[in-house]
Amino acid sequence: MSKKSTVAKNNEEKIYEIGFHLISSIAEENVPAETAKIKAVLDNEKAIIISEEAPKLRPLAYSIKKAFGGAYKIFDKAYFGFIKFELPEGGDIAKIDLSLKNNESVLRYIVIKTERENTMYSPKISVYSDKEAKARFPGSKVEKEKITKTEKVEKVEKTATIEEIDKSIDELVDDSKI
Amino acid sequence: MKQCFFSQNNIKYVDYKDVELLKKFLNPHARVQGKKKTNVKARSQRQLAQAIKRARFMALLPFVAR
Repeated sequence: MSKKSTVAKNNEEKIYEIGFHLISSIAEENVPAETAKIKAVLDNEKAIIISEEAPKLRPLAYSIKKAFGGAYKIFDKAYFGFIKFELPEGGDIAKIDLSLKNNESVLRYIVIKTERENTMYSPKISVYSDKEAKARFPGSKVEKEKITKTEKVEKVEKTATIEEIDKSIDELVDDSKI
Repeated sequence: MKQCFFSQNNIKYVDYKDVELLKKFLNPHARVQGKKKTNVKARSQRQLAQAIKRARFMALLPFVAR
């Protein structure tokens, strides 16, 4: 794939990411158990987890149907989570792929090659309201005053290291929750 | 002249999970905007298209919208 050239550095270390939707009929408290099942497979293939996000219920952009013993069930929301991991020599990505395919509680999944660094520009997956999102991206018509304010802050952050940025983002998120 | 958004923000890899970012490059019908409109450098435009297609498959973005 086209990503190969960017991934090939560092002696061709294999960084993969799996993203998956768990079906919404799972109870909230059983979700960690289902994630543990997926992680067990990764463990089996000696994968070293780099980063992950616990599955969280979110609406789907379109409804997806899945067959359960001959009958379709339609879902319009699902728990979306992802795990980024490094696969050392001897690990088989095909087995991980197959296990996700055969997992009854996985509605849909994707396996991609990616990079070790954090690739997200927005700090979290679409937890922002539309207004806030527009303020984050310069060039949008609304919230131009806000942009000038936020730009200054962002410029300071850019000189800091990745860990420091992560920390400050965490603090911001915590503050907003309170 | 407008400059490449990804170069300006030092984004080297476009992530399919970054829905708010990807939405910026969709038109109201949820189609991918062309390179003339996005003013994005060629490599980023290819990465962007790939990321949007992945996001669509994972139902993070719609295939079509009104």
